[in-house]
Amino acid sequence: MNIELTPTQKALQQEVRDYMTTLMTPELLEEMKNDDHKEGGGPEFRKQYARMGADGWIGLSWSKALGGKEMSHVEQYIFTDEVVRSGFAYPFLTTESVTPVIAAHASEDVREEVVGGVKQGKVVIAIGYSEPSAGTDLASLKTRAVRDGDDWIINGQKMWTSLANYADYVWLAARTDPDESKKHKGLTMFLVPTTLEGFSVTPVHTLGVRTNATYFNDIRLPDKYRVGDINGGWKLITGQLNVERLSLFTHGQVDSLFQGVGEWAAITDAPGGGKLIEQPWVQHNLAKVKSGLEVVKLICWKQAWAMDQGPLDMAYASTGKVYSSEFFVELYRLLLEVMGQAGTIAAHSPGAVLKGRIEFRWRVGSILTFGGGANEIQRDIIAMAGLWMPRTR
Amino acid sequence: MDFNVSEEITSVQQLAAQILGDFAAVDKLKAIEQQDEVFDGALWQALAEAGLLGLDIPDTQGGMDLGFFSLTTLCEEVGRSVAPIPVIPVLVAAASTLRRFASDSQKDQWLPGIADGSRIVTAALEEYNNDDPTLPGCIAEPVAGGYAISGRKICVNLATRAARILVSAMNGDELVVALIDPESAGVTVNRQEVTAGDTRYELVMDKVQVPDADIAANGQWAVTAMRWAQQANRVALAAMALGVCDKMMRITGQYTSEREQFDRAIATFQAVSHRVADCYIDIECLRLVTQQAASLIDQDRPAEDASLIAKIWCGDVTHRVSQASQHCHGGTGVDRDYPLFRYCQWARQIELSAGSSARLTGELGESICKEYLASAVG
Repeated sequence: MNIELTPTQKALQQEVRDYMTTLMTPELLEEMKNDDHKEGGGPEFRKQYARMGADGWIGLSWSKALGGKEMSHVEQYIFTDEVVRSGFAYPFLTTESVTPVIAAHASEDVREEVVGGVKQGKVVIAIGYSEPSAGTDLASLKTRAVRDGDDWIINGQKMWTSLANYADYVWLAARTDPDESKKHKGLTMFLVPTTLEGFSVTPVHTLGVRTNATYFNDIRLPDKYRVGDINGGWKLITGQLNVERLSLFTHGQVDSLFQGVGEWAAITDAPGGGKLIEQPWVQHNLAKVKSGLEVVKLICWKQAWAMDQGPLDMAYASTGKVYSSEFFVELYRLLLEVMGQAGTIAAHSPGAVLKGRIEFRWRVGSILTFGGGANEIQRDIIAMAGLWMPRTR
Repeated sequence: MDFNVSEEITSVQQLAAQILGDFAAVDKLKAIEQQDEVFDGALWQALAEAGLLGLDIPDTQGGMDLGFFSLTTLCEEVGRSVAPIPVIPVLVAAASTLRRFASDSQKDQWLPGIADGSRIVTAALEEYNNDDPTLPGCIAEPVAGGYAISGRKICVNLATRAARILVSAMNGDELVVALIDPESAGVTVNRQEVTAGDTRYELVMDKVQVPDADIAANGQWAVTAMRWAQQANRVALAAMALGVCDKMMRITGQYTSEREQFDRAIATFQAVSHRVADCYIDIECLRLVTQQAASLIDQDRPAEDASLIAKIWCGDVTHRVSQASQHCHGGTGVDRDYPLFRYCQWARQIELSAGSSARLTGELGESICKEYLASAVG
């Protein structure tokens, strides 16, 4: 057992880190001040995303047949960790989770259109799962797709469709069996071009970033945009959710906040003399953060390593999700406490500490414990799959 | 990056589990607890015969030489079985330290006997309000041909059975690591009843004469030795806690799946199952930081922060898992005819040994402070 990065893995980490700094141009940082462009979508974002494609950085995990490099899960994690750390709004769900599913299950035409576009950094896909009355109980969703000749007619509404305001497609889960009691057995996946008539978006402004409500009004969608079997969508959704978690909770993004506060507290004067970091209570908070962060790093590494050995154990995947989401929230608090009231000063206001990054991260972080599968569901899975306890009711 | 445990170490761990399972059945534990000294000598011999006392002892001195990591897997299994044998003071704090820092003749003198179970060398690293063996309150006064050592050590295992007890003491500014013969003039041992239920001793030394042949290390070398011993001791405790907590959680998962109230198994209440799921998460966290620190020590790489972090998690997780297990059992958990109470007692003992979470969090904070102040100036 040697739980450290090998020299080759370290070199990859450094290479990605160096590359990503060249992407975060002053123009992009300026563009991201706009709330609507914080998660990408502006012209400068499009330019840098296409540059990643041209430089061969997109789809490294894909098969060689798709033009990828078949990177191991460990290498893929190292890449993801560094990209998230950089702050670039890289569309992971598009590149790492939806595109491989499309490549495996979509029709020839659509595969070329979408996979090729993603590879070049020209295509972004939004996820259309949740609905106003279907969240954690996703299988109760109501958006309908009805067969009409060679097409499907789609009607319904999706909620929390992040990136849909600029995405090229929505990866849509819709009910194709009219019998609602069939729940997850009546769902089919579609790829809906956002240019189609009948598609519309309204913004939803959250505590953190902008997201969207999306509307599907008598959309006529050719059958070639169906992905996978009719009524066979559930398997594609659950497989994708597991991959999603690997990019949600990465170590670098929070480690850099810890380092930022450590550096700030070492140059900031304490009221009674000395530096802030010399105060025992500050040291206590930083030590709490450091001991928790070490586990975030090891959990991420172990999950990636385990996925290279075989399928990821369900209880293990849930353990990582619950621990990381709850620790992220705790970390934001412990670091904000060190800053005190100055921790509430938002980005671009005078006196903002670390450019208001932690103030913003806390607001975005409020979704972590329920997003990507509510923690209660994860604990149910742990009790059943990890401890062989009976199903709760 | 490799989380794989080698086949060799896995089979060692399985062998340990099998022997411990045979010896540490509840009725046998009860019988040992009635003895004057709570120590299972027969089990100790069985482990010696299987080679398991020599996991981190060189083969030239009768050991298997599988390294420090393998020794932590034995500690984990001892925790899982709550068998009354002091593997950490004897095999980690004494033997593993001696193999790395003592002279060749001392290693030849003591390690073969430890490996074959014929002799016990224990260690006494803690004093009252002081768990740091690099800064002991005990005094080592230079005398002709050796040192005269005075002071107190606490909660020492097997102080009356051991051939030697490893202690540290200060000669002015210089640290000395000595092997005390408990038969020497000036040694008094007083029994101490402790939470874990095993027999411990206060070791009182009054100008105990220690010949040069029994001085294991001096000066900076002694500081390095005691720093190593402290880190290894903490990581071994974390590994033992892993076994203790994992077993408590499994007992609790099973009990709540069988215990019925309101005509259903109480595990079907989310409020109950989620507490056990939280134990599962805590234990996985403890496993990761423990394996990280153990593998660093195993490879002779710096493990100062990693061992602190492992022991901080160890202190927090033992407390939380122990209390959750008790709570989910209701009255059954506190009944001494039910096995859970031993695990809870061990959990508290381990939590408070070699530095509590509060103290070590303070220490880690100071180390973070130094690091950032240094880079702020530079």
